[in-house]
Amino acid sequence: MTPMIDVVFQLIIFFVTTIELEKAAIDESIRLAMAPHGAPVEQKDPREVVIDVDNSGRISVARNYMNEAFLRNQLRKVVAEHGQTTPVVIRGDIKTKHEDIRKVMDACSFAGLWKVKFSAVQDPAKPR
Amino acid sequence: MAAKKRRKRRNAAGQGQDDVQMTAMIDVVFQLLVYFIVTLQPEDVITHLDVFRPSPEKQQEQTQTPPKMIRIQIYPDGITINDKYVTIPDLDRLLDKLAAIDTKQSIMIMCTAQSNHEDLVRVLDLCAKSDLTNLSVISTN
Repeated sequence: MTPMIDVVFQLIIFFVTTIELEKAAIDESIRLAMAPHGAPVEQKDPREVVIDVDNSGRISVARNYMNEAFLRNQLRKVVAEHGQTTPVVIRGDIKTKHEDIRKVMDACSFAGLWKVKFSAVQDPAKPR
Repeated sequence: MAAKKRRKRRNAAGQGQDDVQMTAMIDVVFQLLVYFIVTLQPEDVITHLDVFRPSPEKQQEQTQTPPKMIRIQIYPDGITINDKYVTIPDLDRLLDKLAAIDTKQSIMIMCTAQSNHEDLVRVLDLCAKSDLTNLSVISTN
């Protein structure tokens, strides 16, 4: 019994830790727009780059804020490493102005990334 | 006789060492269960709305210039389709009609700098609802 219990606890700790890591990479303050007719995300490309744009127009990747020039450089590195077919997901707040989203789209075009997607909420979580 | 008794006692103590204290373990497991149930946050179902962006490949650039194109413009104060102001339900109806003719119809969504990102997502959602997939997003001043 004892080794099995050890293994189970190790598994629990592993899952708890990895879930927290994945959550930490996303800016939770961004309120995504609703898109009830979009297809839910089932398969994720491991190369996928998620770019957050908050309501004041600040650009961030994995909670690291950056300006347009830095983003361009980062995207160029992504292209050099993973190719131009790397998908880019833009997470824009509902109050973000399009000019700020445009900066990200322009940076993608500059780097040669053309698979651009906009993240939205298909089905909001039910309040408990 | 006394030696036999002592041996029996030793054997009983030895068996006791192998037993796992189940009660304490079950307590801990229940505590963990309660903790996870309380802290569990329901998550939103996320969708990704695809759009076409200018491709660096020459071949694709050529195929992205179709003869007929529907223009949807997003302004801070409203949405137009081929330069005619429409409400969201009207746009929904028009896109449905368009999709009934051809779902491969090219749609160019033009956003002005001051328009809200929410409106762009709303238009993309309506296109997704009508199964229109040939979408381009262009920024205008």
